[in-house]
Amino acid sequence: MKSSVKLTPTRWDALVAAVILLLALVCGGGYWVHTLSAGDVLTAVVSVDGRATDRVSLNALSGTETRSYSNNGYTVSVAFSAGAVRVVESDCPNQDCVHTGAVSGAGRSIVCLPARISIQLTGSAVSGGPDVIIG
Amino acid sequence: MKLTTKQLTLCAVLTALALALSYVENFLPLFLVIPLPGIKLGLANIVTVFALYALGPTQALLILIARCSLGAVFAGNLNALLFSLLGGLSAMVTMIFLSRWSRLSIYGVSMGGAAAHNCGQVAAALISLGNTAPLAYLPVLLTVSLFTGALTGYLSSLLFRALGHTNLMKQ
Repeated sequence: MKSSVKLTPTRWDALVAAVILLLALVCGGGYWVHTLSAGDVLTAVVSVDGRATDRVSLNALSGTETRSYSNNGYTVSVAFSAGAVRVVESDCPNQDCVHTGAVSGAGRSIVCLPARISIQLTGSAVSGGPDVIIG
Repeated sequence: MKLTTKQLTLCAVLTALALALSYVENFLPLFLVIPLPGIKLGLANIVTVFALYALGPTQALLILIARCSLGAVFAGNLNALLFSLLGGLSAMVTMIFLSRWSRLSIYGVSMGGAAAHNCGQVAAALISLGNTAPLAYLPVLLTVSLFTGALTGYLSSLLFRALGHTNLMKQ
């Protein structure tokens, strides 16, 4: 063997795991704060090829609204409803976007890599609250 | 760098094994448990971990580049090359670094590699999509990498135990 290898876990492995978990928490927290700062209204931002092409305010919806987006030879059907969004149909090969299911809450997103289409939920999930409380 | 016939043959066999493992794991319905794009067990990482310890970083890197390039050719998708190379190289560099730390076992090295692989793939998705949406997956992918990394670490340890009594690795 080129170098010796330990085959049973050591306490230092737990340190590696802790660092990875910490990184996950920091990334999750940072991304969540970043998307919350986008505004007070929960909005689904649909990006095609990196450009935000559609914005749907989810708080204002009463029923379900379905829109289709085509890019890179694929078509993705997205259903927007009050507080949630899901990809109902896609002709992409791996169907990861469909399997993601419905997502709700700021910071969540659905990505369809083959179609290069993403849906990001930004803003606060709470609507109709006061803007500022004084005194 | 000069490779002996034995080393070259071993590299070719391990590349074929890595390709077969990455193909086979496509049939494991892991997305039913964790519905995230690109979620995989990373079974090919067993080959990388094994090659890193048994053959050294240079040959492990050669196997990785051959595996990623051939994988993209077989998939007929140049975009797949960006994902596998960024993921694979991130994992490789991290594991070379971690394997030099003698206090760590194969589990820690493998978990670090799995986490780095996911970071590399999210970076590839950021480049490919052109926006920050894939970052939302990173916390979950990093958490999942603890389990997938521990699993591939365990499988690699079984491999080393099984081959420990052979003279296969003696150069």
